[in-house]
Amino acid sequence: MQPFAYSRPGTLAEAVALLEERGPGARVLAGGTDLLIRLRDGSLDPEVVVDVKRVPELAPGIRADDGRLVIGATTTMTEIAAHPVIRHEFAALADAAAYVGSVQIRNRATLAGNLCNASPAADTAPALLVHGAVVVAAGPEGTRRIPLDAFFVRSGVTTLARGELVTAVDLPLPSTRLASAHERRTRRRGHDLAAVTMAVGVDARGAARLAFGSVGPRPVVRVDDTATLGDRSATDADVDAILDRLLGDAAPSRTSMRASPGYRLAMLRVLARRARATALGRLADG
Amino acid sequence: MTASRVGDSPARVGGFGRVTGAQQYVADLHPADALHAKLVTVDAAHARIVSVDASGALALPGVHLVLTSDDLPQPVPRFGPQNRDRPVLAVGETKYHGDPVAIVVADTVDQAEAAAAAVRVEHEPLPAVFTIEGALAADAPLVQDPSLREGQALAQTNVLNEHEVGWGDLDQAARGADVVLERRYTFPMVTQFAIEPHAWMAAPDGDGIVVWSAIQHPYWLQRMLAGVLKLPLARVRVVAPDPGGAFGGKQHPKYEPALAFAALRVGRPVKLVLTLEETFQAVRRAACDATVRIGLARDGSICFEDIRADYLIGAYTDIADRVVGKGSYVGAGPYAIPAVRIRGRSILSHTVPSTAFRGFGNPQINWAVESTLDEACEALGLDPLDVRLRNLAAKGQPFIPFDTPCDGDWADSVRKAADMIGWGSPMPEGRGRGIAVGIKSGPTTGLSTSIVRLLADGSVVVYAGTSDMGQGARTVFAQVASQELGAPLDWVTVVMGDTAVVPYDQQTSASRSTVLMGNAVLNACRDIQRKLAAMAARVHGVEAGAVAVEGGVVRLPGGAVLPIADVVAASLGRLGGEITGLGEARKEADPSHPLGGSAAFFEFNCTAIEASVDEDTGDVTIHRHVTVSDVGKALNPLQVTMQDEGAAIMGLGHTLMEHYLFDDEGRIRNLGAIDYRIPTSMDLPRSLESAFVEHEDGPGPFGAKGMSEGALLCVAPAVGAAIHAAARVRIRDLPFSPERVWRAIQERDRGEAGA
Repeated sequence: MQPFAYSRPGTLAEAVALLEERGPGARVLAGGTDLLIRLRDGSLDPEVVVDVKRVPELAPGIRADDGRLVIGATTTMTEIAAHPVIRHEFAALADAAAYVGSVQIRNRATLAGNLCNASPAADTAPALLVHGAVVVAAGPEGTRRIPLDAFFVRSGVTTLARGELVTAVDLPLPSTRLASAHERRTRRRGHDLAAVTMAVGVDARGAARLAFGSVGPRPVVRVDDTATLGDRSATDADVDAILDRLLGDAAPSRTSMRASPGYRLAMLRVLARRARATALGRLADG
Repeated sequence: MTASRVGDSPARVGGFGRVTGAQQYVADLHPADALHAKLVTVDAAHARIVSVDASGALALPGVHLVLTSDDLPQPVPRFGPQNRDRPVLAVGETKYHGDPVAIVVADTVDQAEAAAAAVRVEHEPLPAVFTIEGALAADAPLVQDPSLREGQALAQTNVLNEHEVGWGDLDQAARGADVVLERRYTFPMVTQFAIEPHAWMAAPDGDGIVVWSAIQHPYWLQRMLAGVLKLPLARVRVVAPDPGGAFGGKQHPKYEPALAFAALRVGRPVKLVLTLEETFQAVRRAACDATVRIGLARDGSICFEDIRADYLIGAYTDIADRVVGKGSYVGAGPYAIPAVRIRGRSILSHTVPSTAFRGFGNPQINWAVESTLDEACEALGLDPLDVRLRNLAAKGQPFIPFDTPCDGDWADSVRKAADMIGWGSPMPEGRGRGIAVGIKSGPTTGLSTSIVRLLADGSVVVYAGTSDMGQGARTVFAQVASQELGAPLDWVTVVMGDTAVVPYDQQTSASRSTVLMGNAVLNACRDIQRKLAAMAARVHGVEAGAVAVEGGVVRLPGGAVLPIADVVAASLGRLGGEITGLGEARKEADPSHPLGGSAAFFEFNCTAIEASVDEDTGDVTIHRHVTVSDVGKALNPLQVTMQDEGAAIMGLGHTLMEHYLFDDEGRIRNLGAIDYRIPTSMDLPRSLESAFVEHEDGPGPFGAKGMSEGALLCVAPAVGAAIHAAARVRIRDLPFSPERVWRAIQERDRGEAGA
């Protein structure tokens, strides 16, 4: 590991100023579960590591506020997976958070970190996309709200500007219940990076959305405007036809060691069918 | 004060330190003046070294030394347990991805890393062979310079050696077969993945050297270093702190010689701790491509087996050719078969030198042979359990004609496993069962010596050169001494791992230590008992022959029974002192034997699996995993179970998920834990049941046999058979990754299922 400076700002303004000043030479440390691996393997060599765990505006916590559920940037996966409102209203997110890494990693890894790392395989991204999450970012120009779909660019790259820092993730509390479920494929049952991620959400009016990852440069969300996925009487053939359309532009890596493109594309469909079935079951359960 | 008995399962000696982190591994040793080393490698499987420019590295802060083969005695010393073919550092070319060109020494680990990255190695990539087909191609580059292989018939090829063993008349036996099948099965490269990183430290020690190594064979290392450094054995001290897992990967020296030269150069201790990624480039198991022809009669008797097994070993021999020879030798399995031919070949390649790994060449061939037998059973509609029971060698039967006869009631283990899994009973929809058996030849030669000191207060010090790498050897030796000398377990200290202190032991391998070192400790205790009897007779004025010392007590004529501790104190008198016992256990070589010696014992295992397959995804779920080993006598039943379970789980690794992946140029793509997956607690079978059979028929203390490898031998064929039973797909390549299983199901559904 190469030497680097370590800074632990106590205020948001201080953190933003430091990130703006140092630009790409600074890396943010929250849970550290992605950062430390890359510091150790030498693929990142920052001048300064900015530990944001003491910034009050980024504090962990999940609260309802004005029709939204606000998840503080440093809230851990363990807290998210256990939260009763998330488990009921945003079940796919609870599923996904419970899949991330191992127990130890989930106790450290943060939701904002999972998004800012911008891995195409990020476990929580599909669930958050399905639920219309909004990233709240603070920066030199003030605070802005970025719909998650406009946040991801490609692996490791987001639309955060120089000096910007995610302070929270907002989830709109829907007026009509959106039941959701998350599925993924890994090489083993123990902690692993996903070869395919999939979340499906369905609501009582038949509207449905699905989002998937690890099959292209960034996670993708698609809306089923035919109301087929949300229709529990739809035939398998109908569902498959819609899935072919919604999943059509998935483009898995040809060089990945986790799975071949053919397997990933086949599994996208399998996972979508399974997540849909679970989501419909959850919808029926109320 | 209660002595521990063999057959008890006391808390592991040293276990508290191991689980609390108090145990000092080599990486935990921090002498104040120690320097840190890092290996310099090139990113190629095979490359010509044009030049090495160390000036940039030497200019960095804290850097003391950049050592290349040019700085070593010329010709550069070579070493290896079988062939002296491995140079201390690469000479002229690197022969595998990770072959070190230089070693850098600096004040800190980070400085050493930075300096290693700053050493400029100008190199030209050369064509590499990293598959069996590639290595055997007519135009394949030779991995080893023929000049290193003088006198070898195959020196102009990449075949390092051929091993053929057989008996009976194959053609005649084939005439009795109702079905003859030939099938090809492959086994991938996998790595030992010990949790303790491989670590070493070397330091000048007066006129000699001291080397700390997490090594299984301290005395081999001592001898090798003495040869390379041209020092007398007495000037080479090897300290071997208990390794944190070894699995064969820590048997033989790797970078100790380079480290020793570096330490002598800088005159200070130099330490090297490998990263996990570097460990992948240091140790692995040989891949195998085996073709099995088997003839089975309608009545279930195996008429013949004709086996060809090509093992892909690495660029240097290490112990790999022995692995091939010994592993293929018992390839026909624990059966009495009239005609057998086994041809094993070790094939050199530009890959990490393969070495010993739990099972020692048997898991690869057993996977192929047991799976082919399962296919033959299917072809004749025979029950795989019945066929195995029908063909198993009977106790005392010389099933390999020139070797130790069958030394166990092996059918007992098979019946027990079948009973445990409920063979033949109904199961939930979608499940299938598979069963497999396997044997491994135990040590063929061996020498273990032990000194035991009975101190004046009745406490005991045992000196045993075994390396306790987690198998629990300390506990077993302490139990033996406790039982024989009457000291409670916490009054027994077991000293290991220091060639300056502990008498000679040949090695810790082949599941030998309970048998060989166990007998040496037992003999040393019996030596003390004889001396004590004489002393007690003197003190009590009776005939020496009338005194019996056994089971921790002294029995005098007339019926008095005295604790040994009391007799020692009285016998030693005012000057105090102690009673020293010396014990030895030997397994002599037999030069006429194909392996240089017959088996001291056979490890026998039967594994039965109940599994289901998710046909949409290819996921395999193991609902029940039953393993039964023939152990002779479980000196410590809990440890026996732990070893058996550990071997079973390790076997699930190569069965379900582990394999090295290479790019088109022979570089390893999945270095490290992220893309090389081993089973976690989440990947265990829903139920794992381990049992053992005890008939006190082994050569070790109280009838014990070695037993730490058996449960790994049968996992792949038993799981493969269960997958076939559940999903009607026959998969002949490992691992059974979800994608591979899914593809087999796709082929089945398209009507392309394997014949």
